[in-house]
Parts: sequence; structure tokens; C-alpha cells
Amino acid sequence: MNIQFKKGVLELCVLALLDKQDRYGYELVQRISDNIAISEGSVYPLLRRLTKEAYFTTYLQESKEGPSRKYYHLTDQGRDYLHQLNEEWKAFTEGVNELLREVVSDE
Amino acid sequence: MSKEAFMRKLERALVKLPVAERQDILEDFHEHFHVGMQEGKDEAEIAAALGSPNQIAKELLATYYLDRAGEESNVGNVFRAVWAVIGLGFFNLVVVLGPFIAVLGCIVGGWTVGVAFIVSPILVLLNVIIYPDTFRLFDLFASIGLTGVGLFISIGMFYATRFIVKLFIRYLSYNIKLVKGGLKHA
Repeated sequence: MNIQFKKGVLELCVLALLDKQDRYGYELVQRISDNIAISEGSVYPLLRRLTKEAYFTTYLQESKEGPSRKYYHLTDQGRDYLHQLNEEWKAFTEGVNELLREVVSDE
Repeated sequence: MSKEAFMRKLERALVKLPVAERQDILEDFHEHFHVGMQEGKDEAEIAAALGSPNQIAKELLATYYLDRAGEESNVGNVFRAVWAVIGLGFFNLVVVLGPFIAVLGCIVGGWTVGVAFIVSPILVLLNVIIYPDTFRLFDLFASIGLTGVGLFISIGMFYATRFIVKLFIRYLSYNIKLVKGGLKHA
């Protein structure tokens, strides 16, 4: 798949994962890379950028084993952005699917 | 690559960032390695999945320089931001460098016209000094008129430059979101 295309999708994935619960970095990276082929390190620049844009806040929380972990929490602003991206994504995939259906039934 | 090698490479690539920000980033990756190893992965495996430290650093630097250029749009900051975004990948060389040169050309051109018009009476006087017999009163009045026009052009350019730079920085941010970095295979 085309690189530019996937990068935008990565943003949507991160936002969606944080919609229902707060998560820490490793967890986010793992959930995404289970489903999509990514260089895992690139999620961190994305997390920092979205934090700077006030879509997330972060806090540290102790873990049972070892040092504390940085958790990401979706802000209201981030949730609005998620809904917007989600709508765009749905419209886009429906459009493509519709087109594929038409083409396939033509043949 | 071992964890230590990965962290060292990343730290070296981020040397231009402020200390606090660099520490914060290194802390994130430290945590990533730590959790990964708790889940039974070895250092080399985690480092390989993370990808190239240099590529990660490039993205972080591009975002950082762009923020700075947005806060304070002086020549140095804007150039560093453009350079950092171009560094992200070949695609950006085309879609950033091309428009950048065009925009820069327009700005430089506009200012050159404005300033040249403003100083035109000096050029007329210079001409008189070098070739005293060619002096015509019309030249002097015309050039004073040009000074007025030049002042208007320069004032216009002042606002246009600010506006264009702001717009271009927005374009760069859009590029960072869109372009490359981090995704395996095309």
C-alpha cells in the first residue's frame, strides 16, 4: 500500500485506540503493529505531535513491574478530531468499495 | 542492534533538541524497551521492529523546527524547518523545495522592486555626478514619484511576506502529517 496513504491512517488508529481507555506507548504501538505493517518507532513522533496539538494529555502511572509508564488520554478536542477523521475514512472506503463493486459487476 | 546502540544513535541524532525534550523522548523509548523485554522479547528484536533511529529522529526534528518557525518566523527558523521537512524523504524534495523556491523568488522579487524604486532618486543623482551633462529635471521628478510607489510596494510586501510565510508553514505542517516516515514498504 501507498506510504502517504497509510500515514494518515496511523493517526486515525492511534486516536481510535484511545477513545475508550487510556493506554501507554508500548501498548498502542503493539496494537497497531498487530494489524498493520509499520516501523514501530514512528508511532512515538506521532504521539508527541498529537500531544502538542492538544489532542492528548499524558500522565505517569506506576506499574506492578518496574518503572512508571506514560499513559495517553484523549481530550475532548482529540475526540472531535477522531470523529471527523472517522467520518472521512468511512466516506472514503465506502466510495472505493462502491467503485470496486461497480467495476467487478461490469465484467 | 542492542538497546544501548539504538539509544546512543537516537540521542546523537537528537543532539540539536533542547535537553528536556530530548530526555523526554529517550525516556519514551527506554520505557518501550523495558516493557518489551518484560514481555519476553530480546533487545535486537525490539530495536528491529522500531526501525531506524535516524528516521525517527528526522521526524521529531522536523516537527520541532516547524513549531519554532511557527512561533518565531525569522529567516533562520524558516530555512531550518524547510530543510528538515525536505529531509524526511524524496517525495518532499519535490513537493516542498519546488514551491519554496517559487515563493522565495516572489518575495525576493517584490522586495527588490520596492527597494529599487525607493532609492531611484539616488541613482539619478549618481548619474548626474558621473555624467553631469545628461541631467534632466524630468528624471528627478519621475524618480521621486517612483519613491512613493516603492514605499507602497514595500509596505505591501511587508504584510504579504508575513502572510505568505505563515501560509507556507501551514503547508509544511500538512506535509509532515502526510509524508512518509515509519511505514514499511510502499
